[in-house]
Amino acid sequence: MLKLIIRWLKTQLHKPDKNAALRRFSIFKKLSSFELYLLSNHLHKRSFKAGEMLFDRDYPLEMIFFIEHGEIEVLGTAHPSGHSVLTKNQWIGIIDMFHENIRSSSARALTDVQAIAVSRFDFLDLINKNPHMGVTILSAICESFSKYIFQLCEQPPAVNLADNQKQSTLGVPELR
Amino acid sequence: MNWTKLLFYILLIILLVMGAFFYRWIFANLVYAMVFSYILDPFVSWFERRRVPRWLSVVGVYLVILGFFTWVTARFVPDLIRQGNYLFDLFKSGQHLSGQYIVTIPFINGVYEFMQNLDTQIPGLALAPKMIEILDNANSTLAGIPKLLMDNYQNILSTLSLIATIPLLSFFMLKDKYKLRKAALELSSNRYFELCFILLRKFDTNVGTFLRAILFEVIAVGFMASIALGIVGVRNPVLIGATAGVANIIPYFGPFMGGALAVLTVLINGGPLIMIVYAALAMYIVQVIDNNLVYPLVVGGTISMHPLLVLLTVIAGGWYGGILWMLISVPMVYITYSLVKVLYINLKDFRII
Repeated sequence: MLKLIIRWLKTQLHKPDKNAALRRFSIFKKLSSFELYLLSNHLHKRSFKAGEMLFDRDYPLEMIFFIEHGEIEVLGTAHPSGHSVLTKNQWIGIIDMFHENIRSSSARALTDVQAIAVSRFDFLDLINKNPHMGVTILSAICESFSKYIFQLCEQPPAVNLADNQKQSTLGVPELR
Repeated sequence: MNWTKLLFYILLIILLVMGAFFYRWIFANLVYAMVFSYILDPFVSWFERRRVPRWLSVVGVYLVILGFFTWVTARFVPDLIRQGNYLFDLFKSGQHLSGQYIVTIPFINGVYEFMQNLDTQIPGLALAPKMIEILDNANSTLAGIPKLLMDNYQNILSTLSLIATIPLLSFFMLKDKYKLRKAALELSSNRYFELCFILLRKFDTNVGTFLRAILFEVIAVGFMASIALGIVGVRNPVLIGATAGVANIIPYFGPFMGGALAVLTVLINGGPLIMIVYAALAMYIVQVIDNNLVYPLVVGGTISMHPLLVLLTVIAGGWYGGILWMLISVPMVYITYSLVKVLYINLKDFRII
């Protein structure tokens, strides 16, 4: 009887993890609830209408966008083919985060888009101040980059890998 | 232009103006609370990273500050009570606090004797009688204070209650820091979202770092000056050190003010002339340590303002609002200048201007 009461109390007192939805993005998949809470303090929800620009080329780079739903076309140099389309659970800006201050491409919403934005400075600050969280995120980023590089290697031989890497500084389309 | 949109914006502006008019009395408190929360934020964040809920972190930091003030009060209040009792006895004795009587108080008597000495050396100076006259005038003004307090007790109470609201306002600013920031950014359109965020981040970093650096410097200089003056044997080293620390907020001129105060105290106390050299040397060493170690470490460079501009700002601050404004005008102008610079650079980068 007591066990039942304790179990019932536990179910009543247990708070659902408000930020668990963030785990749909592979780089946040292994983060604990507390780490997700710290991250969520720096996230900003943004909505874009179809055809609206998320950012323009050569503008200062501040935000990384995580797509919750909708489709975004990255115009310019995001993909060997000249443009790429990013969809749900993908992100834009992670590579630039480490070495660029200026956008190297433009991004436009193809459909109505719901995205989460985080400042690259806040993101790097979180990584620096929370080593465990930082290692988890950076491992996930490396994993996704390696998948991306393999994907590029599987492209037809006419495509120059070095050029591709140089060009693909904006979007990191995840492999499914 | 869409008329409905235009009408909405006009109504919004009217509402904002009305809101600003209604809340105008507490703007100053909001600014003070903001300064307070900027100073405390790193400590709250430190606790938060150690899994302490944010509201509890704020309460914890408040308790630490309260404990510190309690300790300071317990440590220094006995001396203050002793000095207060001395004044209270003077009142109780029923003697009229005339200028002639006040100059019998040991500290003031030292000043009076020094002036008398000057009067004998420089004929026609007559500083000592002037001092008695000033003290008589001050006495009659002081006599009117109880009546003034009684007449304005409502204003005094409301001022005190407003001051008490600052920690409360600051509590919510600290607790809901991220919510407030998100709410502010939600107002921006997608086109200007990144620009607004950059401005907010730079404001946050510049103002926060600058305020914390200044506070740290005030404490460090005050502490070092107190010790240095105590070592060389200047009287009231803690009081002079604290004043020197606060005056240090004003670049270039503040340090001289602290040094001048130390030298003046030695002169008034009538100590040996070599003490003046010792006091000046002590303050000089404190400044050398501050300029070469404390300031570069905590701020990362000196305030890049021309000395002439600093002087003009201090004078303008003094004319506008007395000593307090003399102290805060230079940091305020510096913060405004750096924010305008950031705004200009980013407006250019985003090709808005």
